[in-house]
Amino acid sequence: MNTSRLMHDPLPWFTALLVFFVFGMDALRPVFAAVFPELDRPVFTQDSFPALTAAHLQLVAISSAVAIIVGVGIGIFVTRPAGREFRPMLERVVAIGQTFPPVAVLAVAAPVLGFGEWPALIALALYGLLPIVQSTVAGIESVPGSAREAAEGLGMSAARILRRIELPLAMPVIIAGIRTSVIINIGTAALASTVGARSLGTPIIVGLAGFNTAYIIQGAIVVGLLAIVVDLGFDRLLRFLDRWREAEAPGASAAQVPGTP
Amino acid sequence: MIAFEHVGKAYDGRVAVDDVSLSIAEGEFVVVIGPSGSGKSTMLKMVNRLVEHDRGRILFAGDEIRRFKPEALRLRMGYAIQSIGLIPHWTVEQNIAAVPELLGWPRSRVRDRVTELLELLDLAPATYRRRYPHQLSGGQQQRVGVARALAGDPAILLMDEPFGSLDPVTRDALQQEIARIHKASGKTILFVTHDIDEALRLATRIVLLDQGRVVQDGTPREILAYPAADFVSEFVGRGDIGLKLLGLDTVSGLVRRGESAAGDAIPISASLREALSIAIARGVDRLPVADDQGRAVGAIAVADITKPRA
Repeated sequence: MNTSRLMHDPLPWFTALLVFFVFGMDALRPVFAAVFPELDRPVFTQDSFPALTAAHLQLVAISSAVAIIVGVGIGIFVTRPAGREFRPMLERVVAIGQTFPPVAVLAVAAPVLGFGEWPALIALALYGLLPIVQSTVAGIESVPGSAREAAEGLGMSAARILRRIELPLAMPVIIAGIRTSVIINIGTAALASTVGARSLGTPIIVGLAGFNTAYIIQGAIVVGLLAIVVDLGFDRLLRFLDRWREAEAPGASAAQVPGTP
Repeated sequence: MIAFEHVGKAYDGRVAVDDVSLSIAEGEFVVVIGPSGSGKSTMLKMVNRLVEHDRGRILFAGDEIRRFKPEALRLRMGYAIQSIGLIPHWTVEQNIAAVPELLGWPRSRVRDRVTELLELLDLAPATYRRRYPHQLSGGQQQRVGVARALAGDPAILLMDEPFGSLDPVTRDALQQEIARIHKASGKTILFVTHDIDEALRLATRIVLLDQGRVVQDGTPREILAYPAADFVSEFVGRGDIGLKLLGLDTVSGLVRRGESAAGDAIPISASLREALSIAIARGVDRLPVADDQGRAVGAIAVADITKPRA
């Protein structure tokens, strides 16, 4: 019964592919050796791919968690009456911040904060903040004013309106922003290797430095698959959050109950 | 129940409500009516403190409303608005249960209350309880909106043009509904509209507002028969005041019991205006009248309807 769904759902396939490349890179040695016969070491072995992937995910998880907490917090603050006046300023900062390429953020962070994980984490968190702030504000703005007014008129407190009405209704938009942020971070975390943090960018950087195209491809494939799998996961989460919207309008026969225009 | 004492409100220096005094007794159905910008909506929103008044006092159950916490005050007042404002990601049941849950009613009592209200508003509970607002027609949504306003058994119902965005047939049905609920429950209702026919049909008392001031305050009959100013007769529609007066009485007072007439019977609860209109349309001067069960009661004569009455 589920076979056709399985065929059409790419998530399990890409997950399997990712697991295969992370844990089975060594098994592909003959393939890489055949494609790149001029290379002495056709597979990156200075560090294991499972360890690199774990380090990469850790960078993304920590920086994204910080970005989500701070970003959603800022988004909520500037949509409250008390924080409303900060909104124009914030929007300007967000607009300027997003024109900055991630690599530039890292390049600025390293001399200031030194090399290693810290500058990478801070740069990733800062860069990931922007789409989340933006989507939180947009999501809360999209809540119908009539629902808010009615809820207030019925006697709900501002905190309850935020928790039970604004945030749940804004959630799909907020999650879409988090998705953008996390996907950008997965890509940018590869660049973190340039400032000395361990990540899936390491084989890419080493490959670039040593003219080893196989290393570059290996790092890039795993980063790419990781981004695809996480993106598909978000897609599924969004569909789950939106399920009440999918509730079908009842058939004409059920809708026409006498006496209920 | 509610008293306005020299209440005023200005937005950025522009006066919206100017020195309004009004006292609403328990069980009254007060309709505030006026053209757009007359301050009628502001007046309503001041009662549950969605808008704060700048001058005068507003009393609820004898106390100045500022002495209540806004949320506590609103929980004791039902609130229904033109845009309905159902919470889109909540089912009909969750929407109606909003206030009872805030009041901390036990789950089973909330559930029973939802069932009771769905039945009261002619929505089969089994069918509608689990639906989402977007699965309902506009009229059904406003029924849920009214049910939600009634859910906490409020002392007073505040309604801000609740039927303004509905089509005429649906509006008519919901007006009938709210009149029935008022009659059955004896709830105090403060209702804002710009539709004079709606006001005449529902109100026990009409307050006519213009530029933030009360122009006239009286029963529908007083407003029609003794308009206090040109503005009033203008607003109620000078040309058909007579017909509107006929609309206030039902056939039952003038029916000649035991007599008969040809044609389809009209219900005894029909207004004299409807009876006259039907007689003219049919080209007859008498109509048979039947009671609510369809049994013949008698007949009504056009001459009786148009005869001058003291």
